[in-house]
Formats: sequence, structure tokens, C-alpha cells
Amino acid sequence: MDKVDGTEHYNFKAPADLATLQVIILDTNPLAWATFEKSSSLSFPSALSQLLIFANAHLAFSQSNRCAVIANHIDGVHFLSPADPGTDHRDPGEADLTLEDLKEIAQKNASKYRVFRLLEDEVRASYRRLIANTTPEAVMASPNASYLAGALSAALTYINRICFGGMGGRSGGVPGEEKSNVNSAGGKVDETGRTMHAKILVVSVTPDPANQYIPVMNSIFAAQRLKVPIDVCKLRDSTVFLQQAADATGGVYMEPEHPQGLLQYLMVGFLPDHLARQSLILPTKVDVDFRAACFCHKKVLDIGFVCSVCLSIFCEPPEGAVCSTCQVKLDVASLENLGKPVVLPPKKKKKKKAIDSLPGSGVASAADSPARTE
Amino acid sequence: MADSDEDFVLSSSGDDRPKARGGAAGSSRRSTRKSKRADGAPAPGATRREKWEDIQRSWDNVVEGADGSIAGTVIGLLEATKRKRLLRDTTPIQRGIIRHLVLILDLSSAMLEKDLRPTRFLLTLRYARDFVTEYFEQNPISQLSIIGMHDGLALRISDMGGNPADHLTALQEKAFTVEPKGASSLQNALEMGRAELYHTPTHGTREILLIFGALSSSDPGDIHDTINSLVEDRIQVRIVGLAAQVAVCRELVMKTNDGDDSAYGVILDEGHYRELMMAATTPPVTRTEQKSVPSLLMMGFPSRTVEKHESLCSCHSNLTKGGYICPRCTAKVCFLPTECPCCGLTLILSTHLARSYHHLFPLKNWVEVPWSEAHTSTHCWSCQTPFPTNQSQTSPIKIKIRKPSAAAASTSNGTAAPEKDRQQPSLLPPTQRYACTDCKTHFCIDCDIFAHESIHNCPGCQSLSEEKIKSRANMWPPSTKNGDIDLAAVGPTLSMRTQVAEATRMLENSKIAPGSSMEVDN
Repeated sequence: MDKVDGTEHYNFKAPADLATLQVIILDTNPLAWATFEKSSSLSFPSALSQLLIFANAHLAFSQSNRCAVIANHIDGVHFLSPADPGTDHRDPGEADLTLEDLKEIAQKNASKYRVFRLLEDEVRASYRRLIANTTPEAVMASPNASYLAGALSAALTYINRICFGGMGGRSGGVPGEEKSNVNSAGGKVDETGRTMHAKILVVSVTPDPANQYIPVMNSIFAAQRLKVPIDVCKLRDSTVFLQQAADATGGVYMEPEHPQGLLQYLMVGFLPDHLARQSLILPTKVDVDFRAACFCHKKVLDIGFVCSVCLSIFCEPPEGAVCSTCQVKLDVASLENLGKPVVLPPKKKKKKKAIDSLPGSGVASAADSPARTE
Repeated sequence: MADSDEDFVLSSSGDDRPKARGGAAGSSRRSTRKSKRADGAPAPGATRREKWEDIQRSWDNVVEGADGSIAGTVIGLLEATKRKRLLRDTTPIQRGIIRHLVLILDLSSAMLEKDLRPTRFLLTLRYARDFVTEYFEQNPISQLSIIGMHDGLALRISDMGGNPADHLTALQEKAFTVEPKGASSLQNALEMGRAELYHTPTHGTREILLIFGALSSSDPGDIHDTINSLVEDRIQVRIVGLAAQVAVCRELVMKTNDGDDSAYGVILDEGHYRELMMAATTPPVTRTEQKSVPSLLMMGFPSRTVEKHESLCSCHSNLTKGGYICPRCTAKVCFLPTECPCCGLTLILSTHLARSYHHLFPLKNWVEVPWSEAHTSTHCWSCQTPFPTNQSQTSPIKIKIRKPSAAAASTSNGTAAPEKDRQQPSLLPPTQRYACTDCKTHFCIDCDIFAHESIHNCPGCQSLSEEKIKSRANMWPPSTKNGDIDLAAVGPTLSMRTQVAEATRMLENSKIAPGSSMEVDN
């Protein structure tokens, strides 16, 4: 019947050639960078310049490509570019420069591509403002502070705004309607209603924020839903969260061996857009640690027990069969055959007996029965 | 012949009536109605209006702003519609996270109707595909099965299983090749669904989602017996009706849901159809203790392997390079979550468990920011969209409430109208700001929806240090505990919300629904 339907040939669409938005989430924790510099001789200023070259390379690919930079700082998340519209846009680094100096800078930058210069100036100015507002006490107070979940959430909401016109939510857009190739503003749109592609690059030097597991996972699933790959450039301490983020969203996970050559890693590993990535073998990590840790002893498990109400993981049935997280009395009757062979011995008599002795015989027999053959 | 003549006369007189009245009164239709409402009694000479005559005219709700544009109203209406979906109960409730659901599709001849485009049948199949994807995205450790009601029989489309790809192929292979035919049989389909759910473990939910396009059912026996046995086996039934409300469906839903018929919905249009269907992807609230017995499940967390040479997977017997190894019997499976085909152990990833957490810890609703607090922000915190800055710069917006009491207060003279606007400032949220009650950050409506529907995080709370959030504790809006809203503190906000809900309901009503739903309203 589908074939008779005349609407078929309207559905033909060439993949729309859309521009890409690159969101860079950059750790700006000064203490973490200082420690990292000691071991790798890559300082933050040089890393920032290399990142800006990477951003410029991205912008150079297409005139409509865009770039946003978000700082994951010790006191929270800050947009470096686009800078907060409400704040003072002056660069504190230029405040004490004379007119002569400014002229010289302007002349030096005169031949620079304007888009590059705007981004560079904005990021540097925002960063100087950020550092100017950071006190040494605050740095010492929170040596490992990281707001990964917040940075990812902010990046995703920004992507939702720029690439989906704010309609990337579950019930956003007109459901089930065939979308045209052109949106109301005349821009190109692909079949999912997006006007731009997006990718996120996380440049991280801080360890996993362990208390943010659920928010980080939520952000990862949201990115998965929007089909936004999260690329990770992990300079120090490999992390499970970011590995899972890259794995779940189809991004690249890299731990550069020689951080001094950051730019090369960035250019080779993270620059390709989604179209180029389809035909490349990406330098990503394959073996991701998926094993879970139990809530009771923090042991890493292969086989565990899960509470059916709150999904807490235990390494052994908890005491008194009460879930320690949600305080619910758990039914462990179905676990009685634990340790017994799953494939039952051929003695028919025994099997019958075992079933009869259990109260919920229907359930037990379902669990007992060998695998269905399909 | 005589009949049709009489009909014709009647309808023509109905057509003439408004014209004649409009001419006689010499004023606009709107004012006539208003005066009628204000009196509280029908104007002399006017007959009683039928419900279907009193159509809500959506254009009456639109009033020009000072600059003659209706942009402000349009923004307001859009936001109200978007916001409507968001105002849900955020109390953390126990939900059945591990679900067993049977999706029953109607494949009877009633599905050939073209009141939904392209046909009911094709649209249903398209939505069924979306449903399968969404269901497994929301409930990764749950199971699904699909049954069709075709030519008086129940047709098995896919078996109970946890792999969305299997269901999608089954839909493609079986449902799409079947031409809708014959009558639908509720009893046959429900019995087959019951048989499938009967042996499912007690810690999970047992649900049936029935898409019912026909208005009748041809059953081999007494359907009430089936309903009773469904209740006995604690199976919850949800029904989406495509035509009109059917008494037996209502009874079925009420009996299987403890007397609550909110799980029975009749669609208004395509969008509403999708909404009703997708509502079933959210895990149901656990109502009573005996509905589901919490238990401890043994699960395996397999590790992924990459092999140099291809080998057969034990689930599909396909040649694959790599897969997941069952920690108990070391069989290789190619897809998770699944049940190990060798030893029956449930194999999942810890990420699958994490996917369900947002059902257990829902994000609090955000509150609208009144103009008195709006000066603290100039742009949306997370997407950097600028907010309207000043009240004087936005065009005055008003919307009429078609409540008799409100209508009585506002007479048709112009002086009373602005006062009414001030009384109900939130009907069209003019500040376009929404604030999290914990971190007090202001967001735009799109970020509000995105945060609640997709991310399930508050970007503000996640991005501020605890000290900062604490230092903001005294700012507006007052903090609320999840599910335990202090009525005294947020009184005005709550009333605003009910007003928004009221306005959106009216907007919803002003939509002209397809013919079938008219009967439903009555």
C-alpha cells in the first residue's frame, strides 16, 4: 500500500549540507593546569592558543560554521564565547595599555581574518575577566572542582537553541509531519528539523566529579538524542564518565601521549565534521569500562543484584532483604535457586518437587526453565 | 426524499439565523455575545445555542498590541502551549521501571478511514515505530510485544522481547504487509496479551496499550470475563481510541486501573494521537503494594570484546567481530540489554540503569518570573537568548477568558480591559523568564522544555558551586521541596499556573476537532 501512495516521491531528499557548530568545553581550573604543566610542560596559555587555532580551523571550513567556548571553572560554568550579553565586554588586560599600544595591536591584527580575530579577542577577554574575578583562596578551597554536568547541559541547551531553534525536545516540533527542506527563515533544514550540525569537544584536566554521575549521564543521553557527538581530549587522569560519554554519543576519546603537540591531536582527531567522519577510521578508544560498582562496598562487579524499585546495585543480597537505598522489602524468593545449575539435571522427579515447594511456582518455573530456543 | 427535504430546510434556517441577528442588532457579533453573558440570560428572541454552534473562535483571542502587531499575542500563545506540557507532577513516586507491555494495534477495516492522513492504518504504523523506539529509550530494561487485531482474530506481530530492532523489523515485515480487513476482536487480542503477560515476573509491570480504531468488537465469548481475568492478573490496560468513546473500553480501563479512567483517551487530531500514545512510554505509577512485588534481580554486567576474527553470536547466529561476553557462561551476544540465550541471565550495561534514573528523580518544575523580579536577568542563562527587557517595550497583550464570571467583570467598554490584564498577568507570560527554585537562575521557555524533557538536569544547579546556590537561597523564587510545595509561599505562582492551564485548555478547545471527536465531547 505504501507503494501506491503518491506521496512517496516527495520524500526524496538529498542530505542537506549543513554547517557545524563546535562547542568547546575547556577546563580552566588553575590548580589542575599548574599540576599538569609540571608533568607535561604544556601551560594553559599555550593550550589555549592551540585550541584557538583549532577553533579557527573549524571556522575556516565554512563561512556559516560557528564556534562557542565554555569554561568549566572552579566556581561554575561560564560562557567565554559568546560572552554574556549583560556583562562588561572590556578586556582587563587592555585596560592599562596606552593608545599607542592599542594602535600597534590593531595594526598587527589588521590583516587577520575578521572572524578569527573576533573569536580570539572574545575568548581571551572573557578568560581574563574570569581570572580577574577568581581569588587564590577560592582556588585553594576547591582544588578538583569540576562542573562537567553543568557545562554539558549548558552546551546542549545552546546547541538546542542554535541548531534546532529551541525545538529539540521530546515533543518539540510538529510531530509526524513531513518537514520541508527549507525552514521559515529560508535556511536549510534536514529531516530532523535541525538547521546546523553540532559537536562538543571536552578538553579536560580534572578528575571525574563523582557526585555528578546521574546529571552527567542525563546529559549524555540528551546528547545522544540530539545526535551530538561528544569528543573528549583527556590530558590527565583517564576518566570513566568521559569515556562513556564519547562511546555513547559516537565521539572520539583521546588521551594525548605528548600533550605539547596538542594542536596536532586536535587537528587530526577532532576537526573532521560528521560527513568526513563517516569515511574515516576515528582514533578512538575501543575498550570502555562498562562494569558497574555496587552501592554497598564499591566493588566492581560482573554479576550483581539490582533492586527492582530503585535500581540500586548490590554485590550480594542485602541484609534482611531490605534495599538500603529505598528501604523497600525485597522479595528474594526468586533467588533461591541461586548457585544451583541453571540447566536442570534430567531427573524429572526432582524438578517437580522443586517447583511445588516454591510459592510462586509460575515465576520460579519461568526462571528455572532453560533458554528459549528461537 | 421527504426526510432530506426537511433536513435541508432546517440547516438553511440555521445558516440564516446569525446573519439575521447580526443585522438586527447592528453591532458586532462579539459584543452581542458579551452582553448576553453579562446579563446571565439569553437575549430575547435568541434560541438556545447548541454546543456545536458555540465554537470557540481562536481569532477572538488575538488582540492587537499598541503598535498594531499581534506578535506579542502569538508569542504568548506559543509559550502557553509549550508550557502546558511541562506542568506535571514532580513528586518522586515509585514507578514500575521494569515493564512488560503488549502493544495491540487495530488492523480492522476501520483503519482504512482517511480521517487521519494518509490513513489511520499508515499513521498508526508510523507512530508504532516511533513508539517502539521511544519506549526502549525510556525503558531500556523493559520488554515489549506487539499484537494486531485483524479480521476478527488476534495476529501476533512480535514476541515479548527487549530488542527494539526485532520489533521494528517485525512491524515492517508483518504489519505493513497486512491489509486492514474485517472486524476487530477485543477479546481475542486481550486474551492473547494476557497469555503473554501471565508468566512475566512479579516485580515488573504488566501493561497493555490498545489502539482501537473500530467502534465495535466481535468477540467469541463474554468480554466481561476477560476483563475480570485481566484484573485478576493485575494487568493495566491503556486505550487510545481513534473514533469515539466506547463504553466497554471505558469499563475495561476503569476496572484494570483501580477505577481511574484517565488512561482512556480519544484522539482529537494527529498531534493529540501521538501525544496519547507517547504518554504510555513513561513508566506507570505503582499504585498498590500488591500490584508489583519488589524483588532483587540478578543481573550480569558484561564486558565488551573486540575480536580479530569473526565469530557467531549466540543470540542471532550472525557473524560479528566483537560483542559482549556473558560473565556467567561466556556466551557472546551482540546486543544489550538482553537475556543471555545460554544461561538466561539478564545482561545490561550500567548506562541502561542510569537511563531510568530520571523517572525516579524528576526535575522540579520551574516558575514564571514576574516583572518585579525580571530585572535581575537580561538573557537566558544557558542559551544566551536575550529576554525582553522592559514592560513598556513589549506590546500589551491580552486574552479573553471565556469564563462567565470573568466575562461579567469585564464589560465591553475600553477602560475595564487594562485592569483585567493586570489581574491576570501570567495568561501570556510577558517576561518570558522561568526560574529554577533552587539556583534562581532564569531560563527561556525553550531551555525550560529542553531541560525537563531531554536533559532532566537544571543547567544552573549543575553549574554553580554549592556555596553560590546557598547564598542565593533567599532570592526569589522561594525554594520548594520536591513534591511538598509550601502553599503559602508560592500561592500566587500556583494560581498563575492554574490560569495558564486554564488558558491553554481553552486554546485547546478552540481547535476545531475532526468530526468524530464532537461526539466524544458530548
